Amino acid sequence: MTPFGADLDAFWSGLVTGSDGISAIERFPVDDLRVGRGGEIKKLRPLPGARRVGCRASQLLLAAAEDLLARSAVSAEPERIAVVLGTALGGVEELERALAPGGRPRHAVDALYDSPAHALARRLGARGPVMTVGAACAAGATAIGTGADLLRADVVDVVIAGGYDALCRFVMRGFDALRSLTRERVRPFDKRRSGLLLGEAAALVLMTREGATPGPRLGRLLGHASASDGSHIAAPDANGRGLELAARTALDEAGVTAAGVDFVRAHGTGTLVNDRIEADVLRRVLGRRASEIPVNSIKASVGHTMGAAAALEAVMCLMAGREGVVPKTLGLEEPDPACELDHVIGSPRAARPRISLSTSLGFGGCNAALVLEAVDQ
Amino acid sequence: MTGTTVEGVAVLTGWGQGIQALPADATRAAAGRAVIPLGRPALEGERFRRATRECLLGVAAVDALLREHRISREVITGSATALIYVTGGAYGASNHAWVVADTARPAEPDDRPGERRRGSVSGTLHFPYTAPSVMSGEVAIEFGLTGPYGILIGGAAATVDGLWQATVLLEAGRCERALVLAVETFEDCAELYARGRWLVRRPLVEAAACVLLTPGGLRTRYDAPRAPSALETRVRTRAGETLACAPLIALALAREDGATGPVGVTGEWRGRRAGLYWH
Repeated sequence: MTPFGADLDAFWSGLVTGSDGISAIERFPVDDLRVGRGGEIKKLRPLPGARRVGCRASQLLLAAAEDLLARSAVSAEPERIAVVLGTALGGVEELERALAPGGRPRHAVDALYDSPAHALARRLGARGPVMTVGAACAAGATAIGTGADLLRADVVDVVIAGGYDALCRFVMRGFDALRSLTRERVRPFDKRRSGLLLGEAAALVLMTREGATPGPRLGRLLGHASASDGSHIAAPDANGRGLELAARTALDEAGVTAAGVDFVRAHGTGTLVNDRIEADVLRRVLGRRASEIPVNSIKASVGHTMGAAAALEAVMCLMAGREGVVPKTLGLEEPDPACELDHVIGSPRAARPRISLSTSLGFGGCNAALVLEAVDQ
Repeated sequence: MTGTTVEGVAVLTGWGQGIQALPADATRAAAGRAVIPLGRPALEGERFRRATRECLLGVAAVDALLREHRISREVITGSATALIYVTGGAYGASNHAWVVADTARPAEPDDRPGERRRGSVSGTLHFPYTAPSVMSGEVAIEFGLTGPYGILIGGAAATVDGLWQATVLLEAGRCERALVLAVETFEDCAELYARGRWLVRRPLVEAAACVLLTPGGLRTRYDAPRAPSALETRVRTRAGETLACAPLIALALAREDGATGPVGVTGEWRGRRAGLYWH
């Protein structure tokens, strides 16, 4: 569920065709903010029973689940199905409603950050672990990794994992005050980059143990790791220590060396600091191979979708492997020499990456990395 | 693959420091009070001047763990220590303040863009603290924790999940020790919790608790029991509703009982109960 549309096909098509999912925000007032644009989802089709769900974050999740279930059957006992979701905001928009005159008790409960995950679990009939990972903008990756741990430990047979976040005034106001939002276009790794734009999305994957279910698969998770910076509450560590540890640990767990990496999906927010630090880390981790491995960021296409970002981007990595094309980094025209990597610029690149490294960072010094393998259906 | 052991636990609650401060019956001791608050810890340092109370409670809980178990800071500093942070609602206070600041003065027709809805809470200083990850971020900064990192949102069941995650990290050799930290504050959102009274019991008792896990001889079993353990019931009786802190308080009570071997904790949240047993 992205600004490009309500299913995986719309997301992939939007990326490959270089569409721009950024628009003027219409759903809530932004006229007093410096920046009023973002990756807003304009059409959210009501789902059967969705009136009871209420919260927009939950609605995004349920819409994504509709698409997931249309593609993959969930076949396990309810107690053996887990829901593990990453988010930066949970149901916080409901807090605005709860505190408004006449706010209802339901709004107060829906405002809890784990409410949308429970709404999805109810919808799916899942009665196994229901976990909400609050690792800010790295949460989607950590959620997928946690899902893999649950499967590996044989706690459950099926995990619905991923991430979500809805755009709301709460977060727009915050990033606007931090001066993190750009008035121009988002330009990851570009000389002229001047900030990010936020977006909203929900991305889900259905995970099982290898060989447990017949039917098509998109890929495998080979390794995952998370690490703390322990250096600043709202900025990445100047040397990217946590990100480097996460990337190296995930590659170790996957048994993959730099020579085996075919593609890097970078966090690539388009902020001055993030992109430089991330490029430095990737050069250190990948060594000489860094100049040969295609790198992209999709945050100019759909906005920085926060808790959804890493999950959405993990799906993109696997789609690239399946479809044989790597989407370009929209907005990147003049790469910053300080961010030198093999960026996918100008047009999509014909390549069929089998092994991808996907990196994420978030507030509070959160870092996460996934190593994914695309598989033929 | 090795097992794990509970190396130490520290507990701060609205009743006081340590489990010895817990009353025999929290409901009776609360005497009708809906919330038993925990004061803002007096921590030194310029950095803490801006930090929220919930951040400081997290720092204070880890500090208490180190002090009570005579562990130096140097032992936990670095990438060999994992940090798992759990909270059901400690982000509520900062989120509440951020929303209230936005609505403090309703927009008026002749407001110019940029003049509307300005509140007393500054964005650059306040907004980052609305993120749950910043609470654990402050703890990580204070103690130099740069290892594996997990943040779970939820009540007691989420803390059992967090304890399980810590054992996974330890047993896989991804860290040498793991801190599982939980913080809960209620006072700033007492009215909201009153509205959601079908979700949380009374009295709501603010708390911060931390457990240190290390490699050891005990294996763990992680499951979904239907009934609460005796420890879960005891924590609820003695401490009151502490949400994510409850399983860590249970571990502290078990240690007070002299448990050095098998022990199990359970926790319930939103109709789901999780259990972790060291055996």
